[in-house]
Amino acid sequence: MSESQISVQVENLTVKFQEFTAVDRVSFTVNRGEIFGFLGANGAGKTTTIRVLCGLLLPTEGRVEVAGVSQDDGIDKMKTKVGYMSQKFTLYNDLTISENLAFTASLRKIPDDIFSARKKELLEFIGFDQSLTTMVSELPGGIKQQVSLVASILHDPEVVFLDEPTAGVTPAARARFWGLIQKLAVAGKTMFVTTHYMDEAEQCDRVALMRAGQIIALDSPENLKRLTFPEPLFEIEPPSSAPSGWLERVRGEPSVAEVQPYGQRYHVRVRDLAEWETFVKQVLAGFRSHPIKPSLEDVFIRLVEGANR
Amino acid sequence: MKQKFNLGRAVAVAKKEVFHVLRDPFTLALAVVLPVLMVTVFGLTIDFNPRDIRLTVFDADRSQASRALVETFQSSGYFKVKYGRRGESLVRDLDRERSRAVLVIEPGFQRKIGSHLNASAQVILDGADNSTVGVIIGYLSGIQRAATSKIAKGISSASSERGIGLRTRFLFNSELRSDWFVVPGLAVVVIAILSVLLTSLTIAREWENGSMELLLSTPVQPFEIIVGKLAPYTLLGVGAVIFVYLVARLGFEVPFRGSHLLFFFSSGVFLATSLAQGLLISVALRKQQIAMQVAMITGLLPSILLSGFIFPIESMPLPFRILTSILPAKWFMIISRDVFLKGAGVISLALPLGALLALNIVFVTLATRHFKKDLEP
Repeated sequence: MSESQISVQVENLTVKFQEFTAVDRVSFTVNRGEIFGFLGANGAGKTTTIRVLCGLLLPTEGRVEVAGVSQDDGIDKMKTKVGYMSQKFTLYNDLTISENLAFTASLRKIPDDIFSARKKELLEFIGFDQSLTTMVSELPGGIKQQVSLVASILHDPEVVFLDEPTAGVTPAARARFWGLIQKLAVAGKTMFVTTHYMDEAEQCDRVALMRAGQIIALDSPENLKRLTFPEPLFEIEPPSSAPSGWLERVRGEPSVAEVQPYGQRYHVRVRDLAEWETFVKQVLAGFRSHPIKPSLEDVFIRLVEGANR
Repeated sequence: MKQKFNLGRAVAVAKKEVFHVLRDPFTLALAVVLPVLMVTVFGLTIDFNPRDIRLTVFDADRSQASRALVETFQSSGYFKVKYGRRGESLVRDLDRERSRAVLVIEPGFQRKIGSHLNASAQVILDGADNSTVGVIIGYLSGIQRAATSKIAKGISSASSERGIGLRTRFLFNSELRSDWFVVPGLAVVVIAILSVLLTSLTIAREWENGSMELLLSTPVQPFEIIVGKLAPYTLLGVGAVIFVYLVARLGFEVPFRGSHLLFFFSSGVFLATSLAQGLLISVALRKQQIAMQVAMITGLLPSILLSGFIFPIESMPLPFRILTSILPAKWFMIISRDVFLKGAGVISLALPLGALLALNIVFVTLATRHFKKDLEP
């Protein structure tokens, strides 16, 4: 892969707030046009990392480079290359859509003619069909999020950082929003997204999992599943007549590596397929049992638990 | 590599701020209605020299002399006379707050005067309201003099010996008009409300919204944000000063004896100080609710209570007198009144002007430092 294909480069990034280390020697690269998912619990260091990459925060140690601009070239130059959309705030409620967009355009010093062309193009892109003089407060959450996305890419940035962009909107609006993210990635923009939704993480090209300021896993969703669960995974559902103590028996079975409860069901990681199938026939009669592909959720539970151990 | 100040971005921030103000009924009311209300209420209602004080008279003498005494009270313009009924309790009207003072004239009042004895009449005051009592006592000595000469003239046709006449002249406000005293001071109060209060909300609102992050993710510079944010409030403040000036001159006919340049210059300095104070509050607290309360306590209340606007600083306890010296409002209050009424110039106002400028530098430095430290990564 040639050098210019790398869109975000982070080397040994450390951010400390006084004694507290929010980000601890993190390194990764993101390629141009990639949808890069950033996962982890609140406080894991996701937002801090993004704030450094947007030029809102200076690293305590390490080096970051975004779209060929490093923090040594000046954060103002960095800011021209990135778009940022935060979970907390999208648009000013007491301004109309066109006032909001014009405000962003003026802050970014986008010339008038380019601004009106971009505005038209981007609003068509999100399929926006309402009046531009609508007050933002009157828009439904999903539409607001989309217009906010437009505001963050008005200046045609190379990298777009979306910090939990779909928090609090309907599933349909989420799906539409992810459609837009994919279209932008195809158009060559690097999309850097944090999310709490596993189905959204599945749509990323690669996913990084952060925990306590460090990246504990980074790969494509497929690879993560394969590498984390080399053994087959089964889902079992006990019948209401299941004999007491069955769970202990499953846990004690030598062919079983691990059992994780999932609501009424259980996910079982199996060491030896043949032995497990015999065990199911003999002991778990009446249980529903079928092989499943691990979900990203399985992966993260495993990884985070593993790291906690 | 620092970017240069860009006017376009500052203007964009200012324009947005104007939209916020215009579209928020609360802020708009604060900005427009409050100054008007303050000027009307304070200008028209505060009167340190009450007139038409209700006086109940019990005249047991019913003589020419006693009538002359009552007449003097009446014609002074300060009292409104009403006769009490015979046999009625003397203090009944005071009790029921039907009058503020009672005048009792004993029988033999005229006879005593005629025989050159000491004649006296009794005045009973409602001590529960000590603000009027002080004023009434002040009036009484004048009335006593007037009554003495009037009665003397009426009784002995031969003009009696003339007492020494005491003539008092009040400089600068010869009629002792309270509105002349109050209205120039309103410039202080109105600026304090508009600038400190509204500015204290503006930055806090962006933090509370989370929109400050978004602003900062663009190349906008902290200084452009400050300029853009403060510009509308500066204009509003200038507008308020002009409004107060016009109301004072045209509405209350307050004389303006000093230099307009000096007045508007010091208004500008005070305005800048108040804006910086509001900004400091906003930047330091980041929450609109708390910022507003702190602005009320440190900006609005002192400008009304501790600036000498209503309550004279000279009569405050020493610690408070010292405290008032760090209030920009106190100094601008002196400047505003003295420029209006005394025509004071730069030299006689050197102390208040110097103090105001010094406080201005302190507040502006603190505010910009704090703001820069906060916003620069």
